[in-house]
Amino acid sequence: MYEKSVTITAKHGIHTRPAALLVKEAKTYDCDVLVECNGKQASAKSLFKLQTLGLYHGITVKVFAEGPQAEQAVEKVSELLITLS
Amino acid sequence: MSTPGIVVSSGIAFGHARILKQHDNDLDYRLLPIDEIPSEQAKLKDAIHQLVQHLNVGLGKLEPDSEHYLLIEADIMFLEDEELIKQLLNTIEAQQFAACVAVERVFAQQVNLLKAMEDPYLANRAQDVHCLSNRLISAIHGSISHDLENLTKPTILLANDLTPAEFALLPLENIVGIVLKTGGLTSHTAILARSAGIPALLSCEFDNVIQNNQALALDALSGQLHISPIESELKALKKLKADDLAHKQKLQKFKKLPAQTLDNQQIQLMANVGSLSDFTHLSEVGADGVGLFRTEFMLMNVSTMPTEDVQYGLYCDAVQLLNGKTLTIRTLDIGADKELPCLSLPSEDNPALGVRGTRYFLQHPHLLKTQLKAVLRAANHGSIRLMFPMINQVEELDQLFNLISECQQELDNEERGFGELSYGIVVETPAAVMNLASMLPRLQFVSIGTNDLTQYAMAADRTNPRLTKLFPSLSPAILTLIKMTLDESKKHNIPVSVCGELASNPNVAPILIGMGIAELSVNVNSLLELKAALSKHDLSTYQRWGVEALKLQRIEALNHYVSHCS
Repeated sequence: MYEKSVTITAKHGIHTRPAALLVKEAKTYDCDVLVECNGKQASAKSLFKLQTLGLYHGITVKVFAEGPQAEQAVEKVSELLITLS
Repeated sequence: MSTPGIVVSSGIAFGHARILKQHDNDLDYRLLPIDEIPSEQAKLKDAIHQLVQHLNVGLGKLEPDSEHYLLIEADIMFLEDEELIKQLLNTIEAQQFAACVAVERVFAQQVNLLKAMEDPYLANRAQDVHCLSNRLISAIHGSISHDLENLTKPTILLANDLTPAEFALLPLENIVGIVLKTGGLTSHTAILARSAGIPALLSCEFDNVIQNNQALALDALSGQLHISPIESELKALKKLKADDLAHKQKLQKFKKLPAQTLDNQQIQLMANVGSLSDFTHLSEVGADGVGLFRTEFMLMNVSTMPTEDVQYGLYCDAVQLLNGKTLTIRTLDIGADKELPCLSLPSEDNPALGVRGTRYFLQHPHLLKTQLKAVLRAANHGSIRLMFPMINQVEELDQLFNLISECQQELDNEERGFGELSYGIVVETPAAVMNLASMLPRLQFVSIGTNDLTQYAMAADRTNPRLTKLFPSLSPAILTLIKMTLDESKKHNIPVSVCGELASNPNVAPILIGMGIAELSVNVNSLLELKAALSKHDLSTYQRWGVEALKLQRIEALNHYVSHCS
């Protein structure tokens, strides 16, 4: 398993638009990518679940994945979590 | 007859009413017979499929990088979400619910989770999900589109709410105005209406007063929806509309220009804002931020003080609308001269000299703390300056900063995030000017309120018409007080702004800049005119005028001078 922790810098957190971009990107990988935050987990491929995590500005989240391309997927999703706004 | 609403996109429109019906009232809550479960699941999948197809058609009409493209894509992504579909199908099977009841239940859970979000920006999305739920329920009932394609005459659309997708699919060539019951300034529909330039009102209650096809006049300047307007009203509104269009056209060229002198010296030109509708007009003039946000508007027409969360939501909306520009909040400035049902202030013989502004709130600290905590929390989302009205003495600052520490401590205990603020006072009494040396070390800025400063310096009631001519807003005394404020502030390296009427006067503003005022905060309506006035000469010219103006000892001579030098 590959994992990484990142802190959200977007002023308004990961709201609908960045979340949609993130899901779109996550769906291009075969492996499951999970995001953990506030003690809750959600698939990075599900806008429905991701939305309820509370990805606020300043919060630290863990991204992890297992399987083919796990490392690339985690790196890509982490990068988006940091840069999207 | 008319009904009020909040302006989210300004303008005036005339048209016939068209009310969009909701389908969420006719749900069948009866348990589903087991043998109907598969067909109900198929019905759901079919409805999702059709709605997605409908949205895709809409998407095809839009530019891929347009504002709403991604929002509609997000709606589609949401509807196609495997986790969501799984949960919907499970709910139909396990609970034996009809498809639309399952949709209502599952989406309602999601809405509640979103509403509980700490960040109001994320919590706002609950509204979008709720809209999508209604839309999907309509699709299950077999009505995908709102059947607006055959509109032929100018129409004012009335609805409970609209999703971004619904908005994008509207036949805008025949829709001249939009009125919604719900929504806020920062809702997606508000943003889209603004960018499409369609006059729109939100939070407008129109049930039982409007029927389809009724003639309407939408005044999205002052925030009124006129129902079956009479001839004289129509005439007045038509004139307003023509003036508004002419005004907007004239301003167009100044809108993008920065406020600067002829020799390109930048001037901070901010706006005074007194209502949520004002924020809408703000984006039309290109202000550098808000230099005075009068928060008293929150207390009009309410029977109780707005809660911390309500205020927090308002300030966050304001921060978000300013998009990184500074927001200057003035704490509640009230006194016995204002009728406020939520506070029931005791009457006083001399309200202007009475328990008003910060004085009142230092006597009722719990009310001030509610506002302080809301502002502190909002500062977590953007740059906010906070200023206190009617301060004379450093002791008052001591009390205020003690209350602020208490609020920070309490927010810490409640594990709520908050941000750093810049603190300032409104300089509006001669005593405040004289006491600046003791107060400035505690502050990051000061803002001169020239209206009250004139009233208190001259001991002349500014509402008394027999005195206003004798004691105009521009006088040698007020310029001297401004000069004293500038000199003392310079020693402490504190910037001085002016937020009173004097700053909005295009003849006086150049002189204030020449004297060394760092920032002007003016009425939204005067802002573009001021940009034009300030751009006429070099800064050195304004500095010379400032020196000359301070030498003039007579009110008439001074007013004559300023009206002739520009």
